[in-house]
Amino acid sequence: MEEDEKERLRFSEGRNDCDSDSEGYVEDLVDDELCYSSGGIPKLQFRKDVSKARWIEELGIAEVVERKGKMWTTTGMVRDGKIYSSIEEALFLAEIGALHVLNGDDAYLSLKDLYEKVAKGTDGYGCSWESFEIYRHLKSLGYIVGRHGIPWTSRSTKINSIAENGASELDGTSCNGSRHDIIITEMLNNLQLSEVRTIFDVYPPNSKFKKSSPGSPCFLLCLAGDHPPSKQATEDLETRYKGHCIKFCNVEHGRVSFFSFTKVELPVLP
Amino acid sequence: MGPRWKGKGAEAKALADPMSKIVSQLRLSFIESDLQGLLSGCIVLLEANAEQTDLLNRACFGRPIVNADKDKQWFQLSMEEAFYLCFALKCVKIICNDKWLKNDEEFWSCMTPKRANFHNLCIAYSHLRMKNWVVRSGSQFGVDFVAYRHHPALVHSEYAVLVLSGKDENTNGRLRVWSDFQCTLRLCGSVAKTLLVLYINKNGNGVVFPSCLENYSVEERMITRWNPEQSRENGTK
Repeated sequence: MEEDEKERLRFSEGRNDCDSDSEGYVEDLVDDELCYSSGGIPKLQFRKDVSKARWIEELGIAEVVERKGKMWTTTGMVRDGKIYSSIEEALFLAEIGALHVLNGDDAYLSLKDLYEKVAKGTDGYGCSWESFEIYRHLKSLGYIVGRHGIPWTSRSTKINSIAENGASELDGTSCNGSRHDIIITEMLNNLQLSEVRTIFDVYPPNSKFKKSSPGSPCFLLCLAGDHPPSKQATEDLETRYKGHCIKFCNVEHGRVSFFSFTKVELPVLP
Repeated sequence: MGPRWKGKGAEAKALADPMSKIVSQLRLSFIESDLQGLLSGCIVLLEANAEQTDLLNRACFGRPIVNADKDKQWFQLSMEEAFYLCFALKCVKIICNDKWLKNDEEFWSCMTPKRANFHNLCIAYSHLRMKNWVVRSGSQFGVDFVAYRHHPALVHSEYAVLVLSGKDENTNGRLRVWSDFQCTLRLCGSVAKTLLVLYINKNGNGVVFPSCLENYSVEERMITRWNPEQSRENGTK
């Protein structure tokens, strides 16, 4: 083959991405499966400062009766001066040894009892095992996570804007009825039955977080059913939560993955 | 992920030689010489002289065919490339069974084997090319296309492109299950590309434009994995 022909072909047949099998290989960052051989599973220590909460079966939440430690600034909802925690909040703190949960008869609820509550799923106390795994994953990394649509405190003059646009309607009703009724209403309104559920409002790690003025979450987390959300579902969520960042998550075999589906417009190049 | 230029001076070279200009030169040259392509199966064969060969290479269309012909260089254009040159740029005439193909319907009916998602792939390709991105096959990565900011000799491709129908019709069956999401994203990440999904919508107002491109609209979405471990310091975006 002549030289200039070779040259022409070289220019067009160079090692381009579409021709190469291993172009730009970036090292695999995925962790290997965390498998323990006999023995060696780490145990978390119970802390010195253990809080106490009483589980209120009719409401499906726990009322904090002894508050110890700093985690209550970023956990639990404040209603009329008291702190209440959802099942996922209680279970998370119980798992890390920071909370003892009692039942109505002042008997300690074991982890088994708490796991049984989560096993009831969303229809039980509003949190499935899947949601709990997501909650635990983010909390362990320091994020501040609240159940979507439930305000951190009902005393705040500026109700969390998500709640205003979301399923729960608190405006008129918060003044009427007992505080117990308010919580039930809030919880029920957020059990959405559609294909994709908005489960959590997630805030960045923040030692100065204030429930009275939490600010906007950095994103809303949506959990799709067993298959990824359709384009229509994504668009509906974006319309519903205009202005907020939305992420989707998928839990499989204990692994939590997060995805963003961002509308873009590739630039017109010169 | 920003553009990854290949070597020093690559970005400057690209800026000095905009793709829009190269393509525009190609278009004029092809119209002047009344270039014709031969449909063979689902590819189009082009016989190019020296000038046309140079333009095809610089604009990154087609694959040259290595053969012993000393005077002319043969290229094969993919279905999408042929569609773009013929029906969008209107600078190549495609011949099938001794007659010119006047529109995309004739192109489609003469093509074998029939490709599912044919229209969507051609519209998606044209959409990116019209923005002056260089678009090549993505089959090496299990996606429809890869998109480059300029010639592949100067830059790595930034986007791995999947083409889906806007109306949720199962035209190519991709991204319908989580494992496919995980698989595709993992692959894209390992080759430093961002997953771009193009949703093709057929405009349903009943009017059919002669330029079939006007009958469709394209929406772009980027699909990325969010890593909570890494985002903590960077403000969670």
